[in-house]
Amino acid sequence: MTLLVGLPGQGMHLGIDPLSGLFLCLLAPLVLACAIVGPSRSVAFWVFVLGTAAAVLAADAFTLILGFGLMSAAAWFLALHGGWRAMLLVAAALFCGFCLVGAMYLPPSYAAFLLLLLGVGAMSCLALVRFQPPPDGLPAPVAALLSGGILTVSLYVLIRYVFVVFGAVGAAWWGGVLLAAGAAAMLFGAARAVLQTEIEALLAGAAVAQLGSIAAALGIALWAKAMGNPALATLAVQAALLGGVGQALFTPLLWLGAGAVREATGTTSLDWLGGLMRGMPKLGLLMLFGASGIAALPLGPGFPALFLLLHAVIAGAAGGGLWAALGFGVLLAALGFAVALLQAAALRLIGIGFLGRPRSLRAAAAEEADRRTLIGIGFLAALCLPLALLPGLLLAALRPVVALLVPGAPALPLPYAPLPIAVLMLAVAGAAWFGLQRYGARGEREAPAWNGGFGKPPIWLPFGDPQTQPSGSGFAAPVRAVLGWFAMPHAAPSKRAALSIPAPRRMLRWRARLHRAAEGHRLALAFGVFVVALLALRLGQGN
Amino acid sequence: MLGLALGLLATILHAALMFAGAPLLVGAAEKLRARLLGRRGAAVMQPYRTLLKLIAKVPVVPDNASELYQVWPFVCPAAIAAAALLTPGFCFGMAGAGQSDFITFIGLLGIGRAATVLAGLETGFGFGGAGAGRAVLFSLFGEAALLLVVLTLALLGHGVTLDGIGMGLRRGHSGAPISLGLALLAVLAVALAENGRAPADDPAGRQELAMVQNALPLEYSGRFLALFEYAAMLRLAVWLSLIGALFLPFGMADAGMVLTWPLGLLSWLIKLAGFAGALVLFEIFVGRVRIFQVPAVLAGATLLGFLAVVFLLVSRGLGA
Repeated sequence: MTLLVGLPGQGMHLGIDPLSGLFLCLLAPLVLACAIVGPSRSVAFWVFVLGTAAAVLAADAFTLILGFGLMSAAAWFLALHGGWRAMLLVAAALFCGFCLVGAMYLPPSYAAFLLLLLGVGAMSCLALVRFQPPPDGLPAPVAALLSGGILTVSLYVLIRYVFVVFGAVGAAWWGGVLLAAGAAAMLFGAARAVLQTEIEALLAGAAVAQLGSIAAALGIALWAKAMGNPALATLAVQAALLGGVGQALFTPLLWLGAGAVREATGTTSLDWLGGLMRGMPKLGLLMLFGASGIAALPLGPGFPALFLLLHAVIAGAAGGGLWAALGFGVLLAALGFAVALLQAAALRLIGIGFLGRPRSLRAAAAEEADRRTLIGIGFLAALCLPLALLPGLLLAALRPVVALLVPGAPALPLPYAPLPIAVLMLAVAGAAWFGLQRYGARGEREAPAWNGGFGKPPIWLPFGDPQTQPSGSGFAAPVRAVLGWFAMPHAAPSKRAALSIPAPRRMLRWRARLHRAAEGHRLALAFGVFVVALLALRLGQGN
Repeated sequence: MLGLALGLLATILHAALMFAGAPLLVGAAEKLRARLLGRRGAAVMQPYRTLLKLIAKVPVVPDNASELYQVWPFVCPAAIAAAALLTPGFCFGMAGAGQSDFITFIGLLGIGRAATVLAGLETGFGFGGAGAGRAVLFSLFGEAALLLVVLTLALLGHGVTLDGIGMGLRRGHSGAPISLGLALLAVLAVALAENGRAPADDPAGRQELAMVQNALPLEYSGRFLALFEYAAMLRLAVWLSLIGALFLPFGMADAGMVLTWPLGLLSWLIKLAGFAGALVLFEIFVGRVRIFQVPAVLAGATLLGFLAVVFLLVSRGLGA
């Protein structure tokens, strides 16, 4: 479709194909949910929506840039309140725009690919760093729309350019770059998620990890496509698309929920929350569902994508050569570690924030979120249900998109059927419940928590002493100790002290440091030695 | 049609034996441990009596618990029971064989762990919280180790389902036995930590400060506690059956051939008894390590898993 406005002589071109159709379908619930939760009269809100639609529907580079421009302008208009951070943001946005424009007008080559990657990565980081937690004065629904919209459109641009526009010239190492970037983002984001105290920052870390897993899946697909392995490419693209669907549904759900928590309690710091499940049970249940998506547990909306990604990695290791297989092995270990960290983050979000005792009076007095909020969040959760319970059907619906991205994609049945597992678990739980009702003691008795024998708290501490229950930071403390300075990149010990000591004593000192090192460091060291030794072996073989 | 019916029958038999026999396994292990330590020990049937006693008691619910307090005890055994139905016990080719993907299996055990951890955080008291933090800590490295083991087994057994891997390994494999051994060591480390056994935890420990797995349901009583205890017993049986089916698939029956069932049942029994005995011996001779050394053990398991992959690939590369 050609519009008459636009570049002189050319106009603007809009088009829709399965890929842009999918991303429009992902943007629509986000916009709808945000509009339900916090109806915005601001023009900028709808200009942003228009910009995302233009970017996704664009059939030429100019329209895409225009859509991006509308989005950025609207976002800055909504969120900026001056100050040096604003200038920094404008600079960062200019950088992103520069990279993207460069990538779009350069001939398809590795330079364009790297610029695109840089631009999309910077764009996503900006969306998360700037809008989560929302800046002062910006309501959570608007912030969720800005972050979610920018992330979705960035993902769309990445997939569109790397697989469709540059599709013919892609090399195998492009996939490697994307894969490495994705795995690094996954580890980094998951570590942030498990250590952050603010719910929004925790969710931003989880979103970085989720984007990293999508990028890793896309990298595998790119690699497999270049190596002429359409089956593996199909598997990986399916993983990336399901990950994208999940990202667009349950991440905004959690952001909107965090906004409702902030509205009810005035804070989102896990160290000040607790016991919200009693005051806001409906919101708590919805957040629990969203958190099961972060944790990528079976029957949750995050599991199908992870399942396919892990299977793609295993299939890649089984099908590739020796060195590719070793690389996939390292990747698998990294993914396993990141997934475990994400599970810890999700458990911490629910267990510390929503269960337990209140850690402040505001948390104790929290009331259920209003109807609109619950409807908006519930709408997103309802849309997650097919992803969680019928991923096979969803994959069948995504066939045209997969065929567009991977020409000649074979039809792969999904060997994961959550519905029978759910029925089985329900049957077991139901049987246990009926059996216990029938043969066990009836009813239950309410009493103050046993609390290791401390019994009922004194009258002036109605929820017990907050100091006696684990805090958000306390829960994460063992993880922090194991991660060491991976958790805090700034806190690396300075090298100067070690270098000023004579060599033999330096060795001793290294030994002592190794002895004291955190577990993550030792594991990383051992893995590094492995990889270096293998690389040396490889080089020796090459000669 | 007959195959389907036999598969269903085998599944029902497997489920009945697994669900009914899990407490017996723990009881026998406890009896053996007591004997080896020079005590007479409780009867082998003691776990059943404990469960019945708990069921007969009216549970005490903390007044600051949320509505979900009574949901976690049902989620945990349900997830582990689903995993139990996917695990090959005495035979391959049960009704759930097509769904018995290794990654789904890991995820189901993860649901069980998550429900237990959330139950520990439910009332917000110190011991439960500390236990939850430690349980989460132990799970960090276990997942990576387990995934590397899945990779090794998938490469060796040419399958990704528990059934497929076991059947592939039973037919014989071309890879180095050393990879299989390393993978077994990694799985054992993860299984011990997941089940709250020595070196990670002490299942018989009664001191709250030192507990990990036992600290989580400290606020639970009556039938809810019985469900958690039963889930722990079932989990041990599942892990031991899994190790037996994957690493020692000798004598396993085929669901389609009824005549092989007795041998399969017998070998399952012998394997479980042998594993339980080995576990008890190991626990007698190996003490607990400090809590912050458990991640070291599991990180070592991750490295062993990676070594297994490396050995396998290198030997395959040399062979080709």
